Amino acid sequence: MSQPPAPSHPSWDRPSPHFGSRAVGARRGGVHKTSPRRGRWIGYLFVVPALAFYLVFVIRPIFLTVQYSMYDWNGVTRATWVGAGNYLKVFADPTLYGPVLNAFELIIFFSFIPITLGLVTAATVRRIAESRLAGLARTIVFIPQVIPLVAAGIIWSWLLASNGLVNQLLRAIGLGGITKAWLGDFGTALPAVGMIGAWVQLGLCTLLLLAGMSKIDGSLYEAARLDGAGPLREFFSITLPSLRQEIVVCVTVTVIAALSSFDIIYISTQGGPGNSTLVPGLQIFYLAFSENRVGLASALAVTLMVLVLAVVLPIQLLAREDNE
Amino acid sequence: MIASKRETVIGRILLILLMLWTLMPFVSLFVTALHKSGSYPAGVEWPADPQWGNFALAFQSAQMGALVWSSVQIVLGVVPISLVIATMAGYAIGHLRVPGHKLLLLLFVFGLTLPFEGIITPLYYQIRDFGLLNTRWAIILPLIGLFMPFSVYWMRAHFVNMPAELSEAAEVDGANRWQIFWRVHVPLARPALSSLGILLFLWTWNQFLLTVVLVNDPLKRTAAGALGAFQGQWGTDIPLLCAGSLLIMAPTLLVFFIFQRQFVAALLQGSMKG
Amino acid sequence: MTHNLARKRTALVALAASGAFLVNACSAPGTTTESTPQASTQTSASVQTTCGTDNITMKGYFETGFPLPKALTDEFTKQFPNVTWDVREDQFAVITQNALRVLADDPPDLMRLPSIQQAVKAGVLLNLDEYATAYGWDKWPASQLEQLRVNSAGARGEGSLYAQGLNYSLTGVFYNKDLAAKIGMTEAPKTLAELDDALAKAKAAGITGIAQFNGGATGGLAFPLQNLMAAYGETAPINDWIFQKAGANINTESNLKAVQHLQKWIKAGYFADDVNSLDYAAMMSRFTGGKSLFIFDGDWESGNFDKTMPGKVGFFLMPPLEAGGKQAAMSAPLTFGVSAKAAHPACAAFFLNWVATNQTAREITVKIGGSHPMGAQDAFMPEVAKDTVTAQTLAAGTKIGVDNGGMDFIANATSSIYPKSWTPNLQKLVAGEVEPDALLKSVQTDYESQIKG
Repeated sequence: MSQPPAPSHPSWDRPSPHFGSRAVGARRGGVHKTSPRRGRWIGYLFVVPALAFYLVFVIRPIFLTVQYSMYDWNGVTRATWVGAGNYLKVFADPTLYGPVLNAFELIIFFSFIPITLGLVTAATVRRIAESRLAGLARTIVFIPQVIPLVAAGIIWSWLLASNGLVNQLLRAIGLGGITKAWLGDFGTALPAVGMIGAWVQLGLCTLLLLAGMSKIDGSLYEAARLDGAGPLREFFSITLPSLRQEIVVCVTVTVIAALSSFDIIYISTQGGPGNSTLVPGLQIFYLAFSENRVGLASALAVTLMVLVLAVVLPIQLLAREDNE
Repeated sequence: MIASKRETVIGRILLILLMLWTLMPFVSLFVTALHKSGSYPAGVEWPADPQWGNFALAFQSAQMGALVWSSVQIVLGVVPISLVIATMAGYAIGHLRVPGHKLLLLLFVFGLTLPFEGIITPLYYQIRDFGLLNTRWAIILPLIGLFMPFSVYWMRAHFVNMPAELSEAAEVDGANRWQIFWRVHVPLARPALSSLGILLFLWTWNQFLLTVVLVNDPLKRTAAGALGAFQGQWGTDIPLLCAGSLLIMAPTLLVFFIFQRQFVAALLQGSMKG
Repeated sequence: MTHNLARKRTALVALAASGAFLVNACSAPGTTTESTPQASTQTSASVQTTCGTDNITMKGYFETGFPLPKALTDEFTKQFPNVTWDVREDQFAVITQNALRVLADDPPDLMRLPSIQQAVKAGVLLNLDEYATAYGWDKWPASQLEQLRVNSAGARGEGSLYAQGLNYSLTGVFYNKDLAAKIGMTEAPKTLAELDDALAKAKAAGITGIAQFNGGATGGLAFPLQNLMAAYGETAPINDWIFQKAGANINTESNLKAVQHLQKWIKAGYFADDVNSLDYAAMMSRFTGGKSLFIFDGDWESGNFDKTMPGKVGFFLMPPLEAGGKQAAMSAPLTFGVSAKAAHPACAAFFLNWVATNQTAREITVKIGGSHPMGAQDAFMPEVAKDTVTAQTLAAGTKIGVDNGGMDFIANATSSIYPKSWTPNLQKLVAGEVEPDALLKSVQTDYESQIKG
């Protein structure tokens, strides 16, 4: 994971339930025992270093990206002002909005598949979660989260090659007819890249959901059993609703990973064949650093940043409403 | 809760499948790494004449020692500084509640979902103007900034739950704010700090985009960046590439297996809290 | 309440202040000095023509997978021990992406270059005119260096010299003699029809005709395509297009025939079915493993084939439509340039001259590179055994000289035409996602927007 995951508690200043009894006012009074004015400034001194790094290396570049996006600039010579021209190009040129559509398609693989599989797995192994085997599995399935995504890209490029393991297995089970170079075929390259993402995300989602399940009160299940509920009804009426929080987290983390994917694709397909696996992150990189169209790259970058916010915020708000 | 026999069996089978799904790629990588350098082995087949020397060869050509040392230096640059300044900020926002703390928090939280690609272009020119291109600082400084949203948010979540009485008791003893912070709060924040440290270590070690753009020399890159360069240089020799990839992954995996509990806990908490 | 407001105001002031610091540059980004290619006006006496005697370290940036540059720099250090080389390697696609940035921000003394025009426009490449005069490079056959010249209008093919070659390479068709014998092909095809026939026979015999690389960011089908273009039409318009001459167009009648012919080969199944995922290395391993009858490639592999498959590989230039017709080939200097900001430009120029004139260097160029060394017509040529591929490619080079059939590579027209236009379009052609006329239209559109842009 190359990215800090997104907040799962959008309600960042609701006092946490454990300390709900403590009156906020009382706490404030307590802290400001020292002379309020001096305390105030000292308090700010604590924030300054973090804020300085953040402003210089994140906020300023964000402003600059917006600024660059209004210019036609090759990064070396003088820039010319084009206003919204670059944005019009982004929405009109299929090689620029195509990557955005590809990223959305990747969400299916990065989010939907790992979460579904994770739910099924977690629900199935819930009862043996304490066994030695489960303990071992917990470590093993986490490995993809720990290795660099670059490594995942290298490994899977090799597995998916025409004489790689995937085709070998297919031939072994008599499906020799459908073997192909998965990353080199227009129809399968994007799903193949998506599978790499699914492989990376599956372990994290499974463990998150499993951890969530361990918090569910066992008596709920007992009661359901007595009512004669089968495993399916148990799953839909108890497990799924209790895991809302964890599911929202999984969705957020994986969706961001899908929309801002770069490493895996840079290594495995470089956006090919054609532009069938080109994603915004890679296209920004190409535009800025190989085609030297910095303005256009920045317009796409702004689009991507807005897009991520536009997708993630509703998810957060939905989760929040459910909690209230 | 006694699980029925059938459920247990299905559960075990699923677990084993899941582990196979995770591990198969590594097995394939390992077996391929033992084939003759320069050959194009088909799928997974144990070579007639395993070339254990490939690992030594990859170790040399990837300059593994220098490479790991470089990643370590970058981690040592990023993690301690980030921990210290994020803890201070989290303390001010979460515990002292300086005026405007909500706005400050909002400002940091705004950066939580930021895709790095969004700001990589101006970052390049900024680092160039600082004269830091192709140095480790080119990775260290921006990463500290980029990790601030998560780190401050994380530490603030810890400090919000610290009862005010802690500070009050210390104040009565005549300690000033700075002393209270270091003597009382930092020791108490140790669990939160160690989890955050693990996460930052991983994200730094595996950072790729910044290294590709800002640092050309593989020996000044992070492990992930070096792996990318290694692929650039040896991508034409599959067995060697596989051996090199395994070697470059080895340190992280080793650290992971030693501290697996802490890692898993940190990552799960990180995604839940973050 | 008021207390609250006061606090909010403080925060707002703080935010506003930081905002002012953030948007410090409201002026347009970029340098204010417009850099245009400068014709050199100085006399040649002003340049240093040695590497001096101080210990220096030269920064090199070379292409992965080609041993020649490294072999030359090693030999150079043997002869001039005070000069050591610090060499970095990347794949060509990566070099193409990095070229401008590296030349400007991390200047190498010697760098493998893709298309030079953009770099010249941006003013990051060293003008070599003075060195050319000092070393007498302008007395070499003019065709050797014309691809490396850029005039003040930014068109290539004439004007000041901005790069040099380590050798002069040539592309054509390599074939596996054992597989050729299996289909009864005893000598190289003399016409395009004969080549079609050989491919059809290979297909019938279950032999892969051409396992050309076409995966990732490298559309290697551009090799056969450009050869077909030269078979169907003249080379001059193709060169004009590559050199960005005003009004040049790739979308011509004869080029359309060439793309259609290539499409015919694809549809007939003459290419390996996974060409879209083969990289260069995979192609080479298929060919050396006897899994491909032909490959379209360059003479930089000759030395390699003579080592790994001695006597088993043949080479021919793309056959013409009519027997005995003129032949053409992509033929280009292995381009190396010096950054305008390089620390040791004089030593880099001295090295480039040494490569073309030193006897040992020329031997290395032929033995390891397999291609023709740069330099004067009458310069020393090492002996090459008759039955080697190297001998065949050197002979082909002479033929191209006689027919005046040298072309630069269509992938070099602009710095991003290859990864962003030829490659995706050729991959689409393989997948049946684009028709020949649309392919040429699309490439021409990209070309125009890249030149403008």
